[in-house]
Amino acid sequence: MTEQDYTTVENSADTLSHYPGIPRLRLATAYIPPQVFREMFPLSEALNKGTLFPELYRPYRRYPMKGEV
Amino acid sequence: MDRSRVTMLRELQELEFALVELNLYLDTHPNDNKALSTFNNLAAHLAKAKKNYEARYGPLINFGHSGPVSSWNWIDEPWPWEIEY
Amino acid sequence: MWLYEKKLQYPVRVSKKDLPMARYLLTQFGGPNGELSAAIRYLSQRYSMPTGKAKGVLTDIGTEELAHWEIIATMVYKLTKGATPEELRRAGLGSYYAIWDKGIHPSDSNGVPWTAAYINTMGDPIADLHEDMAAEEKARATYENLINLSDDPDLIDVLRFLRQREVVHFQRFGETLNHLQGYMNGKKFY
Repeated sequence: MTEQDYTTVENSADTLSHYPGIPRLRLATAYIPPQVFREMFPLSEALNKGTLFPELYRPYRRYPMKGEV
Repeated sequence: MDRSRVTMLRELQELEFALVELNLYLDTHPNDNKALSTFNNLAAHLAKAKKNYEARYGPLINFGHSGPVSSWNWIDEPWPWEIEY
Repeated sequence: MWLYEKKLQYPVRVSKKDLPMARYLLTQFGGPNGELSAAIRYLSQRYSMPTGKAKGVLTDIGTEELAHWEIIATMVYKLTKGATPEELRRAGLGSYYAIWDKGIHPSDSNGVPWTAAYINTMGDPIADLHEDMAAEEKARATYENLINLSDDPDLIDVLRFLRQREVVHFQRFGETLNHLQGYMNGKKFY
């Protein structure tokens, strides 16, 4: 692994401390916030919706059908 | 179509879906004990629900994973894509 | 080792024949952003992953994608049941029928057969996970297109389910990417 260059403003962010469990954001590096499990949908609703987790539910609004707005 | 079969399948689908979701969640959060115990509860429920279904309609899983059978009903119809839900 | 459960993951209700829709749905059976591509991609990538977590995620999501592949086939099967060659021809499925009859063939909506050119197994865990996240977004977008093409509430119901699965898979792959990036950098991330 190459040594990190801490002299530039962007890279010196790496020298800042961070809370345990929260990775530091890095240049040229994608990061997706991890899910924190809180509660679940009831089983029947979960199957209908396609996920057990309310925070991951992202419904799609379809193109209006004929006669709708 | 046997409506009680569809109802039993629906119960299995609901249980198994929650278990798939928890399985995937635990794969990336292996230390989440709350999720683990929820998984275990549901897995126990599923074992019972499977036994009920299989007693009436035959094995759900092939190669012996649904236990011994009294006749070779694994090949019986309808297959999943033929069932009227 | 794979086992098969004789049960659909989600119930598929089809009340009437719809050959044009069956044709569009074929893209998720054997097209570039379809479930077969997803399954083969993830199940192939898992062999060169460096951690148990990554192998687990790719194995499990890859397996779920095969279940979705089965759901798409079920939709096509039910939508084309009882169709005559004349009806197939009028729906633009004449060329398909000429080659594959009533068989459900892994190809896209234009009859282009499935190819491994739709997937990549780079062996580079970071590249592979980015491909997986892109694949989930492309699948999600394709399901949105299919939802827009249909006016049948039963079909739309299944398509919404499949679309939401892609959102969840994206999240899992994102979490796996975080983990692998931490691993490749020699640090532990949670």
